[in-house]
Amino acid sequence: MKVLVCIKQVYMSGTDMTIDTNTSWVHYKPGGFRINGYDEYALEEALLIKECTDKTEVHALSVGPARVEAAVKRAMEMGADEGIHVRHDKEGYVSPYHAASLVAAYAKDKHYDIILTGVMAEDDMQMQTGQMIAGMLDYPYATSVMYQKMATGQSLYVERECDNRSRECIELSMPCVLSIQSGINKPRYPSLSNILRARQQKIIEVPAKDFDASENREKVIRIFIPELKPKGVFLQGSQREKAAELLRILHEKVFI
Amino acid sequence: MKNNIAVIAQHSQNAVDPITYEAIACALELCDKDCSRIEVIIPGEQTEKAAREIADTSGMEVIALEHSLLQFYNAEAYVRALTGTLNDLAPEYVVLPHTSTGFDLAPALAIKLKASCITAVEDINHDKGKHSFIRSLSSGRLYAEVVPETKSTVITVQPGAWQAASNSSGNTGRISTRTPDIEACKSRTVEIKHAVYKGTDIAKSEVIVSAGRGIGKKENLQLLYDLAGIFKKSAVGCSRPVCDAGWMEYSHQVGVTGATVSPKLYFACGISGALQHISGIRGAQTIIAVNTDPQARIFGIADYCVVEDLTEFLPVLMEEFKTMKHTG
Repeated sequence: MKVLVCIKQVYMSGTDMTIDTNTSWVHYKPGGFRINGYDEYALEEALLIKECTDKTEVHALSVGPARVEAAVKRAMEMGADEGIHVRHDKEGYVSPYHAASLVAAYAKDKHYDIILTGVMAEDDMQMQTGQMIAGMLDYPYATSVMYQKMATGQSLYVERECDNRSRECIELSMPCVLSIQSGINKPRYPSLSNILRARQQKIIEVPAKDFDASENREKVIRIFIPELKPKGVFLQGSQREKAAELLRILHEKVFI
Repeated sequence: MKNNIAVIAQHSQNAVDPITYEAIACALELCDKDCSRIEVIIPGEQTEKAAREIADTSGMEVIALEHSLLQFYNAEAYVRALTGTLNDLAPEYVVLPHTSTGFDLAPALAIKLKASCITAVEDINHDKGKHSFIRSLSSGRLYAEVVPETKSTVITVQPGAWQAASNSSGNTGRISTRTPDIEACKSRTVEIKHAVYKGTDIAKSEVIVSAGRGIGKKENLQLLYDLAGIFKKSAVGCSRPVCDAGWMEYSHQVGVTGATVSPKLYFACGISGALQHISGIRGAQTIIAVNTDPQARIFGIADYCVVEDLTEFLPVLMEEFKTMKHTG
């Protein structure tokens, strides 16, 4: 089998995000980039599939500028057999539609049986790319996947997490696209042997312009830091004073 | 122009999910409250009852798409069923709730309709008849204003962002039924598994003390159990990252994908307030939040805000509670 895992490098520097007035985009500071957490679960799931099926190869692909190489390398260190970098030098907003069309253009003649993505990216939180790849390739798909297993040689059984703690159980024929929810597994740390192998191995670089992929279908006209509008009251004073005040409120409202 | 917004209703086995009326409210804002421009589409197997309810409650026209393959929600069958009808209607906007069904469906639908797709919309800006959409990034630390550049746009509406629409006209909408042409699908929804509860069901608790990533480590959960002990009919819940870290079972998770709760008191400890979590506690009567970050989104909805480290604050709170009990 061939499994493709789509990974995104995201910028998550903690709580102190600022906007770069020159680019009208997030101000990127060094050290803030890492693999999207949801994609790590997707990669781990791919590696688990590889471990329980014969002759399975896992490829990790990322779209983005030169900095994205670090994420692809990391995926190889975690155990991906190949790393693919679709080189796309545009910074700023790259829509799920645009990213999905590059992935679909790359994947369409590569005979992948399963394409995995994280359920969303921690930065844009769009929850779109997997479904769009599936739509473009006309593959069946499932999102928020919390469990998957081989049903027959040609199909997968998956459970997707739904509202109010219910699960939808779906059978999908392969090839298919699954977008993976957090908590499905425990992503592994790179092993020494994989780190050494990844160091030797070259990343396959493919220029985005080689593909006849579509551009964004929507435009981000601005990003901004929201003003927090507190609805309630902030308790004041020392810890002990706040505690006493809170107990007074709880008592007044007959909770204690 | 007429009928140029389509709302996709959400239901489970013909019980209309009330979130549908929030999507309708968003659609009304997009067409300056002109009901005649909205069609509500409900895909299913036997949808008569649900279609009637929507037509009565909203006063809008309802199109029921009936097919045996639509018995349960299935992304592929839904996309196939909806594509034909939506291509006929050629709506400017297709509006869905941002739920596990809505976000699953919307992007694939957008591909088939050659539409743009904007998810988890929280607000709309109007500028000379043009719309732009406000949505959050990075768990609400940033927001983006997005403008579609296509004739048709699929949007999903963040739960809680609009108040459910009610029928102001008193009219009841017309219902038409269509049988969509769905060819063989490559996927099949086998069943829907509902959660089975062991012990206390947090959704039925009157007081919920809830843990977020900010508790730092599993051992600190004891502080929350101690706190929960001072209330009657209480339970300890948590946000998703706490489950992902393996500190608590998923059955304790509060939020859209976990339990949607409406307790009398929700005591959020170290919870930053991701949207999906906040949406799940909208029904709480009183919310208390303890967090070290004064900008945490949870403070936007809490009634009482405590900017403190919970590992220091909760022990002090318990000490004060004991003192209070002794002195009566």
